[in-house]
Amino acid sequence: MTTRSFTLFLLLLAPGLGSPLLNAQSQWALDQSTLTYHVSHPLHQVYGVSYAARGKGVCSNGQCNFLIAAPVKSFDSGDSNRDLHMVQVTRGAEFPMVTVRTRLPESAEQSATIQADIEVNFAGQTAHYANVPFQLAKQGGEIKVTGTIPAKVSDFKIDPPALLTVPIKNDIPVQVEMTWKPQG
Amino acid sequence: MRVTFKGVYPATGLLFFLLALNSSIAQTQPSTSQQQQQDQQQQQPPASEQNAPNAPSSTQKEPSLSDLGFPSAETQGNLREQELLDKRSYMLKVHQRMGLITAVPLAATVILGANAGGKQTSSASRDAHAALGSATAGLYFTTAYFALRAPKPPGTPTRGPIRVHKALAWIHGPGMVLTPILGAMAFDQKSKGEKVHGIASAHGPVAIVTAGAYGAAIVAVSIKF
Repeated sequence: MTTRSFTLFLLLLAPGLGSPLLNAQSQWALDQSTLTYHVSHPLHQVYGVSYAARGKGVCSNGQCNFLIAAPVKSFDSGDSNRDLHMVQVTRGAEFPMVTVRTRLPESAEQSATIQADIEVNFAGQTAHYANVPFQLAKQGGEIKVTGTIPAKVSDFKIDPPALLTVPIKNDIPVQVEMTWKPQG
Repeated sequence: MRVTFKGVYPATGLLFFLLALNSSIAQTQPSTSQQQQQDQQQQQPPASEQNAPNAPSSTQKEPSLSDLGFPSAETQGNLREQELLDKRSYMLKVHQRMGLITAVPLAATVILGANAGGKQTSSASRDAHAALGSATAGLYFTTAYFALRAPKPPGTPTRGPIRVHKALAWIHGPGMVLTPILGAMAFDQKSKGEKVHGIASAHGPVAIVTAGAYGAAIVAVSIKF
């Protein structure tokens, strides 16, 4: 047995050492983001924007787990009264964060579009959306991700707010624009 | 017999090095895995969610909310604040409904006001105008009460069309106090067979400005412009 092959043999035998090396993790951090919800009412088209989201992605074994979170209060629709009412109906004081989780293969960063299964936790409820399309654009080492989450008021058991006794539409799509940076 | 250890010595040294390194990793690993366990416990979804297609896997390191660096005050729920918001929303909903209801007798009062004058000392339309005006004033102040008493979380800035809505209250509020007083004076003068005179003659213009500001206040929060 040569020195090299013996060393390799020892490396494979050494318990507990091989696995951390093989399971080396890489991480992503959310650098910039714009989350925009859209609410439709016969008298109003409302857009609420948040720039306060934070996110992290942890990759290992070829899979990446992503978590994005934003304070419910951080969404600004340009009307403080409406924003306070939005926080109330979504129980934003009791459940102050909206979180989005997804798992993607590490190879997805090479694609121009991805279909993600996402889990949204909002207003004390969890909703799942399958095959949500997102566009990916590489800019240097960063990746810009854009897409729309087809959220509905009923998915989160929210009593739809009404203006002049007319409730808003059930669809509240959330447009997502995020820039991710590799970490470490 | 001479055994040649050439090539084996370095490998044996490497073995000891690996074993030493492995034991040091083994000592440091528990804290990492404990952290992972804590994170997973924090993020452990309810049993009903674990069967979801993208339910968090227990085999992979997953980021947790605490990894994102939000201040804990921002991520923890506040039931008391939620109750405050619930009360605020309830009171403002009542304000909105009563405001719309008030608009009906207000409009009717203005319309009937056109025939409330005349030379007679009494007329049915003048009485109806006075009665509707009184009802409007009562409903108006009840509506205002729900807006004024609705709690607001401290430090919340006022932005958007609600500023116009509130500014207009400085017109229709005093107007709604003045209009019935001036109306009562005008009614009294008419009942005595006098021509409406003095400050009472401002009843009509003040009423129209008040009704206009009230209508504008409704429009300000109803239609985006």
